[in-house]
Amino acid sequence: MLRKDINELLTQTGPGTPMGDLFRQYWMPAMLAEELPEDDCPPVRVKLLSERMVAFRDSQGRYGLMDEFCAHRGASLWFGRNEGSGLRCPYHGWKYDVTGQCIEVPSEADNSSFCENVKLTAYPLVKIGDVLWTYMGDPAKKPPLPEFEFAHVPAEQTYTSKRWQQCNWLQAFEGGIDSSHVTFLHSGGLKTDPLFKGAKGNEYNQNDTKPFFEVADTEGGLFVGARRNAEDGKYYWRITPWVMPNFTMVPPRGDHPVHGHFWVPIDDENCWAYSFDYHPVRALTDTERQAMVDGYGVHSKNIPGTYRPAANMDNDYLIDREAQKRGETYSGVAGIAMQDASLQESMGPVVDRTKERLVPADSGIIKARQKLRKAALALRDEGVTPPGVDPEHHKVRSAAIVLPQAESFLDACRDAVTVQPGVRQTTV
Amino acid sequence: MTYTDSTGRAYTVDASVGESVMAAAVKNGVPGIVAECGGNVSCATCHVYVGEDFAQRVGGPGDMEEDLLDMAVSERRDTSRLSCQIRVTEDLDGLTVEIPPEQP
Repeated sequence: MLRKDINELLTQTGPGTPMGDLFRQYWMPAMLAEELPEDDCPPVRVKLLSERMVAFRDSQGRYGLMDEFCAHRGASLWFGRNEGSGLRCPYHGWKYDVTGQCIEVPSEADNSSFCENVKLTAYPLVKIGDVLWTYMGDPAKKPPLPEFEFAHVPAEQTYTSKRWQQCNWLQAFEGGIDSSHVTFLHSGGLKTDPLFKGAKGNEYNQNDTKPFFEVADTEGGLFVGARRNAEDGKYYWRITPWVMPNFTMVPPRGDHPVHGHFWVPIDDENCWAYSFDYHPVRALTDTERQAMVDGYGVHSKNIPGTYRPAANMDNDYLIDREAQKRGETYSGVAGIAMQDASLQESMGPVVDRTKERLVPADSGIIKARQKLRKAALALRDEGVTPPGVDPEHHKVRSAAIVLPQAESFLDACRDAVTVQPGVRQTTV
Repeated sequence: MTYTDSTGRAYTVDASVGESVMAAAVKNGVPGIVAECGGNVSCATCHVYVGEDFAQRVGGPGDMEEDLLDMAVSERRDTSRLSCQIRVTEDLDGLTVEIPPEQP
């Protein structure tokens, strides 16, 4: 359990909160590049860390992310005209460039000095891979750009989707470092999902429902090792990296692409689940890519034109009790992503952690909360840069491996859990 | 060993060397040691304050225990420990611990 004050500390990410300040130390996914597909395309509303913003791509291909509301009288710039290298408020024609600088006030007599003094809060927006990244902190402390492998492999090797999740970021993230639920909740998917099935590792997953957890501290976060019995007195290890504050990877299965997530707070009761799949050494096949688009694996089938899953809390996630009874799906909800999301959302917008009962399989979660708390307090009280800001910390991989019982997973896996460009992932 | 609750009521039990201070309490029905997770450093419901005289001999908390004491325990003191992580030894004969008014 957590005390109430600590639960609030970890779950509140608005401006001025300790965890909000922590999040504002990092580059973070702000949107998918596909949301701003061409120059002068319609602007998009973006809410992150409880701040309402508008994103646009100007006539020169520059990306901008700034306060949603016009400095004049507060109208939403989402209605704006994206034209001539700027976004123009349709109310009185005030125009802003991608840095938030007001560049025209056409309703007034020539007074360019007035313009100069009008600037909206704006953040950098940078395309790396399929994602547009932003940094919402102090410009003087802006770290180098992120180095996560999924965003840096060639385009044909990677795919990223996102979905709106109607709960606080922390309970969504905690699912990402909790390996013991896989054997239960996703047992159907291990057998049938085109992006999961067929791996030898799945058998170990299914045959040993009581994994033993070992958690190792790293410079940027944690490695959570889940150990299950394999044959001949060996252990099957699934190693899940967490890079602070909100990046997790799922251990691979066979030669399937490797997947993972970013859990990005929209506000305290909603988050974005960014879900990626990539293969370190080969292009994704057409079949794999189609399966991702269709919502298999860690992806979701969304309502067309939106990032809201088609199965959602308003339709009880289209639960199929017959499929549940037949064992086709363990919970009756289809798809790995929505199996997770349905249960995480069912806890309520912010789960009351004073009432939970953790068990040894939750040691990764206990450790991660502690690391978040310590980092947020060290930042607040002493200005200490938190783990995970340094791009070197981003160069981690998940791994699945069978080891002799005597070997420690971290000693045996140093190379496997480190990004080595052009080298295949370690997987069973 | 003696457990004292927040009202001052004392429970003295015979503990065996090797078992945990939590296990000895549960076995003897000492109220206030909940031990939900069964001694696996996960729940913090077996929190105790170690008697000053014994604090040094008992020693400090381990890593995971440290995390839980920090985040889950309502009033943490210097002598706070999770009793599931204290092994009974000959050396601890006569150990006294105080049970906090409430467990998480």
